[in-house]
Amino acid sequence: MTIDVERVPGPPAARQSQKAATRQRVLAAARELFDTHGYQGTTIREIARHAGVAVGSVFTTFASKGEILSEVMQARIDPLYAELDRVMPHLHGATADRLRTMFAIHLEFEARNVRLFLSHIAAAYDWTLSPGARPYGHNTRLMGAVIECLERGKALGDIRQDVDCHEVVDLIMAAYAWTYRLVITHDADAQAMIAAMNRQIGLIVEGLAPRP
Amino acid sequence: MKHISPNQVAADSPARAPTRRALAKQQTRLKVLAAARRLFSEEGYEGATIRDIAAAAGMSTGAVFANFSDKSDLFREIMVDDMEALTAAMRDAATRGRNVEDAVLKVFMAGYTFYKSRLQLARAAFSVSWDKDGGPTLRGLPSSTTPFQELFGEQLNAAIERGELSQEADVKLRSQMLFDTYLSNFPQAIFEGWSLDALQARAREQIRILLAGARRG
Repeated sequence: MTIDVERVPGPPAARQSQKAATRQRVLAAARELFDTHGYQGTTIREIARHAGVAVGSVFTTFASKGEILSEVMQARIDPLYAELDRVMPHLHGATADRLRTMFAIHLEFEARNVRLFLSHIAAAYDWTLSPGARPYGHNTRLMGAVIECLERGKALGDIRQDVDCHEVVDLIMAAYAWTYRLVITHDADAQAMIAAMNRQIGLIVEGLAPRP
Repeated sequence: MKHISPNQVAADSPARAPTRRALAKQQTRLKVLAAARRLFSEEGYEGATIRDIAAAAGMSTGAVFANFSDKSDLFREIMVDDMEALTAAMRDAATRGRNVEDAVLKVFMAGYTFYKSRLQLARAAFSVSWDKDGGPTLRGLPSSTTPFQELFGEQLNAAIERGELSQEADVKLRSQMLFDTYLSNFPQAIFEGWSLDALQARAREQIRILLAGARRG
């Protein structure tokens, strides 16, 4: 059923909340479709139909499919980081282990809607991506947490003082992103991805240890 | 449908010149491939249609379908052609390495240099490869990763033999990570216009870190 939200009359306040409601419905519908059909397999028309709104009203709120996905991904950040913030203060032990826990939380979280996350990565290469979209690869919070973790390793003495944390963070983020490949190539689940990431972190951090 | 490259045509019938008909067919294939390469680069994989590719090649869609079963078949053929040329270039580059880090760096750089003039095609390939349903498009590629991982593996094994890396170096995991890292720099090249020099500086550090844990002395 299609409801033409735009035509509902009312005072400005009501129209505002109407607009917000449309927005929420579009985001919820898009989230579901991206997670089942992937990025290429989802069209704005289908999102509109699934949300029960007119195609036109999707376009009055969002500039492109990529922008809708950006919003959907942005909305997941708070619950994800609520989980991370709860755990972070309790992380102890070697730098590699602290990193492993951090990434395990991410992988476990994203694996719940893994096609959504793959859509997020695929969209970064989209031809129609608008400048307002925030594609994958700009998760500054995660990068900040990794750097903090490495700096702490320097203070604790299991990371060499001359290590450039920004270089290492790029490498770890690359390993993290490519771990999601395993979903495409091997239908990997959260546990399999976490195991792969653990090994990769081990290999990288091994190279940062103080020389005997 | 059997795909015949110009080289195979020559090799398969050394005694007899190919018929005019076979030559014409070959010409058509090459024209379609060139047009497809251009459109995939300009419009992306999803954006390029067989209709547009046919028009750009100056022929009917029927003539395209007489040579290729579908769009994914076309894309795959282009990727396979490139991969063959690329692995050859990488192998050649590796032989000029002064040590294992340098050899691996030269392999990376051979790849970035190769794609420098076709970054948009690389972008289309990345886009398809991250789509879980993109499998059919790339399926049949001589598994897009193994030849490269093998090449990195060979460099690492040679380094172990030379005593540059420890016997315990995890060659399989390291090769895979080297390949992933090689790929991970493409967004900088595609979207941020990084020069080959900038890519090289970044890759050198990445390779150094990835090999550090296995380095002897």
